[in-house]
Amino acid sequence: MKKRGIGMASIFYGTGYGNGFPDVSSAVVEIHDDGSATVLTGAADCGQGSNTVLAQIAAEELGIPIEKITLISADTDCTPDAGTTAATRQTYTSGNAVKLAAAKAKKILLDFAAGVLAVNTIDGLDIKDGYVYVKTFPQKRISVAELASHARFKGNRLIGEASFTTHSTMVDPETGQGAPYYPYAFATQIAEVEVDTETGKVEVIRIVAAHDVGRAINKIAVEGQIQGGVAQGVGWALTEEVELKNGQIQNPSFTEYLIPTALDVPEVTPVIVETYEETGPYGAKGVGEPAMLPTMPAILNAIYNAVGVRITELPATPEKILKALKEKEQKNA
Amino acid sequence: MEMKKLSLTVNGKLIEREVPTNIRLLDFLRDYLHLTGTKEGCGEGECGACTVLLDGKPVNSCLVMAHSAHGREVITIEGIGTPDKLHPIQEAFLEAGAVQCGYCTPGMVLAAYALLKENPNPTREEIKVAISGNLCRCTGYNKIVDAVELAARKEGK
Amino acid sequence: MHERIVGQSPWRVDGIAKVTGKAVFPQDIYLPGMVYGKTVRSKYPHAKITKLDTSKAEALPGVLKVFTARDVPGHNGHGVLHPDIPVFADGKVTSINDAICLVVAETQDIAEEAALLIDVEYEELPAVFDPREAMKETAPKLRENGNIAYHLKIRKGDVEKGFALADVIVEQSFKTSMVDQAFLQPEAGVATVDERGHIVIYVATQYPHWDRTEIARALGVSQNMVRVVTTAVGGAFGGREDMTVQIHACLAAMVLKRPVKIVYDRSESFKAHSKRHPMYMDYRVGATRDGKLVALEATIIGDAGAYLSWSPNILRKAAVHATGPYYIPNVKVDSYAVHTNNPFTGAMRGFGAAQPPMAYEAIMDMLAEKLNLHPFTIRWRNAFERGSETATGQILDMSVGLKETMLEAARRFGWNVEELK
Repeated sequence: MKKRGIGMASIFYGTGYGNGFPDVSSAVVEIHDDGSATVLTGAADCGQGSNTVLAQIAAEELGIPIEKITLISADTDCTPDAGTTAATRQTYTSGNAVKLAAAKAKKILLDFAAGVLAVNTIDGLDIKDGYVYVKTFPQKRISVAELASHARFKGNRLIGEASFTTHSTMVDPETGQGAPYYPYAFATQIAEVEVDTETGKVEVIRIVAAHDVGRAINKIAVEGQIQGGVAQGVGWALTEEVELKNGQIQNPSFTEYLIPTALDVPEVTPVIVETYEETGPYGAKGVGEPAMLPTMPAILNAIYNAVGVRITELPATPEKILKALKEKEQKNA
Repeated sequence: MEMKKLSLTVNGKLIEREVPTNIRLLDFLRDYLHLTGTKEGCGEGECGACTVLLDGKPVNSCLVMAHSAHGREVITIEGIGTPDKLHPIQEAFLEAGAVQCGYCTPGMVLAAYALLKENPNPTREEIKVAISGNLCRCTGYNKIVDAVELAARKEGK
Repeated sequence: MHERIVGQSPWRVDGIAKVTGKAVFPQDIYLPGMVYGKTVRSKYPHAKITKLDTSKAEALPGVLKVFTARDVPGHNGHGVLHPDIPVFADGKVTSINDAICLVVAETQDIAEEAALLIDVEYEELPAVFDPREAMKETAPKLRENGNIAYHLKIRKGDVEKGFALADVIVEQSFKTSMVDQAFLQPEAGVATVDERGHIVIYVATQYPHWDRTEIARALGVSQNMVRVVTTAVGGAFGGREDMTVQIHACLAAMVLKRPVKIVYDRSESFKAHSKRHPMYMDYRVGATRDGKLVALEATIIGDAGAYLSWSPNILRKAAVHATGPYYIPNVKVDSYAVHTNNPFTGAMRGFGAAQPPMAYEAIMDMLAEKLNLHPFTIRWRNAFERGSETATGQILDMSVGLKETMLEAARRFGWNVEELK
């Protein structure tokens, strides 16, 4: 018989290295003669999309299109150390570093613009669509390209460098008291599964995944992180296990170590909750790791909801489910 | 090492080379032609990263010996579109956010290409079946399915 | 918000390269005069190496050199926290996948053939594979100060008093599995010596700058002489934090003055990189009739495997997240990272905060069932909000969108959240 069940799970996740570890990212931004710009960051893009997100942040801060940004990343001969691509930290930590570096380069340009546009402070100036303009009198404007080339000809260099440190406090080793991570991300996922009581096989029908990411710098990329995280959670819950025998891996292949295929991952509805973290770039926190955390427990809770057995040892294989069902039957008999 | 002449069409071009008899089609494409868009992820036909079209049908090029492609037609990702002239499927992958690390992407694009040739209006379920031999660890497949649907709509126009 | 690009979804900046097959992963690099490296790994989980004879392999035509521990000019070790993973095993192996040597040859085929000719003899040592066994006094000692690499205590309030207030108590043990990151692109790297005499490696890594530090330390050269160029990275998920091919390829390139390529197959990829910690989690949680959590006690034991990697940080993270996102006034957690002779464990997506949800989220449902509450309700009544205090005493003075995520997810499942609060 096929039985359906629904399970819920919520999590929190402390982003960043944490525990007082130096969690620093550095970046350099240079605006060129024609108003285009180069960003240097040590952040490695492992596929999650930091090159795109950091370019978006630089483009936003400089008020120029993303096509005018060249982002060079993760080459130790020419990019500054941005820390590791881990701990859900690159959008937050390197995002802040790039934003600060871009703001410094921009300030040099605006200082020069103040003279050209005859305003007495840069507070009234902004950059939008490739123009520096007076916010309260937008018809007074000059193109970034013209301004940058003029400023550079006068000997100005439009270079900003910045480092950003995520703050955290070491915990006391005897009591664990302290403030080890900042900021925390939060999430709730609800899964619906169908359990075949004859075969023990679990099919995940659908998952809704709501994540507090602070702010999505790139909406589709955030959704992709959530859906990808859910897929890894599905695998962890149901099939994945490195089998060891005397310390030797028994299944070092994709034939025996089963990661989910397109037929195993359900339709995932990502829900982006934006809470605008004040310390994050444009309000962003991160999503990489939290994406996968609620999936496994939500599926296990859904299995219980469907057939009344609680799997307490991963993965929830058909054999384990059948065994648990049998034990339950014997207990009830 | 025994050598033998291999003659086949790759992305519309006739190629003739003297190559060892024991190499896989994947090795021939990568090591001899440097068509490195075809990736190796597992070497045993499980992951689909090495998918190419052999006489129009998707195959795992890690499971095909190079010489068994003699006289046949191979299309790799390099034969689908170029940065200047993307194929609608490639465009759809970018638009839908179906690319993350990109290692499975060439194989996925080829699997989608083969599907849409046979079935221009697939359902989501049919798309999932068609790409189920191609593993992706990053995206959770949802956006890849979105991309293939989008490509079908684009090509239908 | 009035941002123009932030919040949008432009195409990935590397997207066109990736959909056309032009993106360069280290596997895709072919340099003139390039030679190939093949790693030979341990066959035993804990053993003395009594003989290591590379002569037959080195005599094979096409083999340039076999590198062993004695060829490492600097520190023979690396690791993200503590450099205890040997570049090459030096007289002893602690896990089955320890690198014994690297064969470098003109072709991949020759390197693989020569690898089979490496003659290694071992004298097996007693080994331990279960972290709970490894904690015992009688277990084989893998480190001078014992096998417990890390222990963190969290003590908040008074758990006994807390349990005394509880109307229901749930006690349950859980175990998570060892998991592989299983990124699609197996480890690969190409190292070369450039026109300045600097060592350059093209590699897929999560942290090029730390790789540089560790490569320079192992090679005994200054850091400015080493350049790490990150290629396209085919997924990582934590599995590329500890290095694999980097030092081997750089050492061989430095000595041979030829470009050296190392590509792992899937099987070697599984063996070479860290895994997710399997954790044993024993939980006891109490709640009052209205579903308020009053006390939590947990012991978490993580299998660190043979090397330290990030284990202390991971078991710290497990302890800090042991309560779930819920306010609990009385908490006692003991979290341990324990060495065994299993493959070493390290970073994987979630990093120690991934395992405890299996326990605390099961227990929330178990308590709810006993109290006849909806799973939503018990979570809602204990959920962190801005200003809440965690088990470590941290005040959550930041954006806390937990309740919004609960509402949003529940509404999409058609739950009547107003009734369930």
